[in-house]
Amino acid sequence: MNKISLAVAAAFAATAFTGSGALAQDKTIKISGFGAKTSVVRSFGINSEAAMLAAADQINKAGGVKLADGSKAKIAVDFLDDGCNAEQGISVIRRIAGSDAVVAIGPTCSNVAEPLFGILQKKAGDASDSGLQFPVFTDVAIKVGLAKISEWAFRNVPNEMTMYSSLFYWLKQQHPEMKTVFGGVEEDFAHSRATWYVVMKDRAVANGYSIAGETKWLIADTNFATQVREMKKANADIVAISAHPFSTCGVLKEMQRQGVKPKLLVGLTSSSSLETLQGCAKQAEGMIIPTSFAPVTKEGKAASEATAKFKGNADLHSMAAWENMFILKQVMESEKISGNPKDVQADRRKIRDGLAKLKLTHGLMGDTKRTEDREADKPYLFVQAKGGNWTVLYNPL
Amino acid sequence: MDFYFGLAQIIGVHTLLGLSAYIVLLTGQVSLAQAGFFAVGAYVAGMLTVIAGWAILPALAVSSLFGAVVACAVGFPALRVKGLMLVIATLAFGEAVRLFFFNFDYQVAKGGVKLGPLGGEGFRQIRYFPEHGWTTMDVMLFIWTLVALAMGLLWWFDRSRYGAVLRAVGEDELAAQSVGINLTAVKVSAMTIGGAIAGLGGGIYAHYTTHIEHASFGILLATFALAYPILGGLGSVFGTVVAAIFVQGFLVEGLRFLGDWRNLLFGALIVLAMNVRPKGFLDAPTLLWIRRLFGGRRGAA
Amino acid sequence: MLDFLQSLSDGILFGATYALIGIGFTLVFGVMHKLNLSYAAASVGGAYCGLLVLKLAAGAPALVVFFCAFLAGGVIGLFVYLACFHFIPISNPLAALMATVGMLLLIDEIIVHETDGMPLNYPALFDDVMLRFGEFTLRGDLLMVFAVSIVCMAGLLALLYRTRLGLATRAVSQQAVAAQLCGIRVARVNALTFIVTGLLGGIAGAMIGASVGTLSPLLTTPLTTKGLIVTVIGGLGSIPGAIIAGLLVGGFESVLQQFRGVTERDLYVMLLLFVFLVFRPGGLFAPRGGRD
Repeated sequence: MNKISLAVAAAFAATAFTGSGALAQDKTIKISGFGAKTSVVRSFGINSEAAMLAAADQINKAGGVKLADGSKAKIAVDFLDDGCNAEQGISVIRRIAGSDAVVAIGPTCSNVAEPLFGILQKKAGDASDSGLQFPVFTDVAIKVGLAKISEWAFRNVPNEMTMYSSLFYWLKQQHPEMKTVFGGVEEDFAHSRATWYVVMKDRAVANGYSIAGETKWLIADTNFATQVREMKKANADIVAISAHPFSTCGVLKEMQRQGVKPKLLVGLTSSSSLETLQGCAKQAEGMIIPTSFAPVTKEGKAASEATAKFKGNADLHSMAAWENMFILKQVMESEKISGNPKDVQADRRKIRDGLAKLKLTHGLMGDTKRTEDREADKPYLFVQAKGGNWTVLYNPL
Repeated sequence: MDFYFGLAQIIGVHTLLGLSAYIVLLTGQVSLAQAGFFAVGAYVAGMLTVIAGWAILPALAVSSLFGAVVACAVGFPALRVKGLMLVIATLAFGEAVRLFFFNFDYQVAKGGVKLGPLGGEGFRQIRYFPEHGWTTMDVMLFIWTLVALAMGLLWWFDRSRYGAVLRAVGEDELAAQSVGINLTAVKVSAMTIGGAIAGLGGGIYAHYTTHIEHASFGILLATFALAYPILGGLGSVFGTVVAAIFVQGFLVEGLRFLGDWRNLLFGALIVLAMNVRPKGFLDAPTLLWIRRLFGGRRGAA
Repeated sequence: MLDFLQSLSDGILFGATYALIGIGFTLVFGVMHKLNLSYAAASVGGAYCGLLVLKLAAGAPALVVFFCAFLAGGVIGLFVYLACFHFIPISNPLAALMATVGMLLLIDEIIVHETDGMPLNYPALFDDVMLRFGEFTLRGDLLMVFAVSIVCMAGLLALLYRTRLGLATRAVSQQAVAAQLCGIRVARVNALTFIVTGLLGGIAGAMIGASVGTLSPLLTTPLTTKGLIVTVIGGLGSIPGAIIAGLLVGGFESVLQQFRGVTERDLYVMLLLFVFLVFRPGGLFAPRGGRD
């Protein structure tokens, strides 16, 4: 028995050794990013990390963060991969909470965010709840209504309700002759599914459209003949596709084959990225998507260029990570965190309370309203795929 | 320290998953249905504590029972087939279970909030542990007590006549049958015990992740269930634990500092491990060596 | 009725891609009596390698891409053989199985690292051709895939029954020890089998890329499952069986989707498969006799 327990202890020690051994230098505030840098969502993690590094670089060049004692601290960023897996995400947040990081930005996937928020303390300061007390400020995971799970969870992700409401309203103004909407849903992915049933469908009806039908497919499906035939039969003016790039492209290609040409195509927020254009630029031509970022403002352009220097793309997700860094800097200064490694838990609490107090934050596209349940109401614009690029179609700002 | 306790929780649950495949593998059957039993356990235990308001222990007992019943029911028809056919039959069953939960809605309003599984969107807020003030260490000790019980049980089986019967069936079915062993009874009993252990593991999984959805219980999880006993070796229950520590503690967590290289190494190291130790980490000579270190009472493995 | 026929024919045509993957699985199983779980991933990997041509020479014709995928598939096949089978003793089938799982994860992750997991456009032949019979349509590109899988099957059968390599392969598959005693180098035959199935996999991957229009690492898991299903339904080791089973699975899937919807489609496919295996464990075309 001795030998085995020794082996187990050795294995523990090995993992302990390779664990977070970052040196706690004073005058450094650590912000940990985490998200997916493996599997099909790898690009999200790469872009978020680049945006965080770029933002930290900019803050540090301007002097850093002012601490309670008046001194300035530099921001250090690290980024951990959670593989878009619930268990790994939980493990990563525990690792971050065990380090001297004061706050975390992430994760990428809603299926990680949901369990992760579940292990956080539900009500801040509730002594009977032994959940983790660590502030998480999400940049990407977008599934509707997640931050209400815990008072330690905050999100700076676009509010799809507002965006699609506004999109359908605008479309009605521009094209009053169009009357019907047909929906295509990627049924087995939490975000796309919720977006059609809870958001798009509801908002289309509210703006005077009638739903001509809906069809479903799965995220890894390859054959869309049946679904597109249903779409063809419905012959709707607008086809709304709530799906991620891979199956969006599959459906668009099948629509081309069957000759389905709706007057307008509407897509899912997350598909307004480079991926859709890499997969099927030709077929996606004309697709309209509401998004919370496009490099149209001066600040947006600068952020986009700075991120490119760290080998990342600026899109609605990575720019949320950028904004989060600046929001956190502001909160850390207004809440007067100490920056001492021994007071790290108190600093975390201050950051949480500071984030909860925010009513308005400054973003790249303009001011963002913060809601009661710790979500953002971000400014948005509509982009359209044109000639292999996303171009701004309408800017309601 | 919480991080290490949390990691130990994950290793514990994956050990249970591996043990559930271990006992089935002893009889020479390769089952990809373990993730299905694990899913059944997760949903049953989650619904019992969240919707019915049960305490954790009875909920886990029932989830384990459910896992056993489902495994027994599927064992009778499935174990008619052998080899690759069984792999695919159990894969089909495991996927069918996952897809059942993909289509499964059962929500109850409690205090103005709707609770329970909701098809593709999953089942959130299974927060028994934090709500009852269990610290990460409490949960870890709780999980490892159960793991130790399951391991003790299997270890005892291994020493008893039943273990010899299991291995006899695994070595040579024809020979086992000719000495009067009832093949169906042996295989189905192994499957049932495996189902009970997987159901228990699933029940705990639901509680430490607080949110479950069908996608977590796919083929990848089923493959991992098999990977632990195969990587660890079928000579002893401890092999499965060693493999769970190797995969979850070293490949997944220990290599995290490698960043981008971690996942590339993950697959490559599994390939390497199988080339270097085709009979698992704890193969017969290693076990013998370990036994010798303990005083050498028994010479033979 | 027309809807039913249309879904059935769509499904059957798409089933040709499943059949192509199934042939590879069944060939390895037939010869070595082992399962290579990394096969579908290797095929997709081969298809990705084909895309490298477009990086070197933009606008290269689709056929060149397919040919490179074919060659790359063979190289990957040899690599899989060396990493997962050559050095692992024959008495440890589980170790080889688990090594192929590791290989599946490795190939998947290499693709993700090289492409950042983004879907990539894949060139196709005849993708703008639609045969129309009134309302009823057939996809030109799928007809091509269909034709390719028939050609592959014919080529394989010719290789197995008309060449010395085929003779050696069949000898090894029937009795490896006896074959060795007759002077056949078993390891070499096994390696060649992997190269041949790898070449085939490269074609299969390219055809799948062409018929879907996009390549993504998301494809590997469903293709692995479909390939295994096709292999067992067709009867282990039976090449014509794999083709017919591929078409059947495609057809069933499409019809069930039309009648039960996409969320229940796979559930019924899996339940049917379970029942089929339990009551007809030999598959449609079980080879008589032989080992195990």
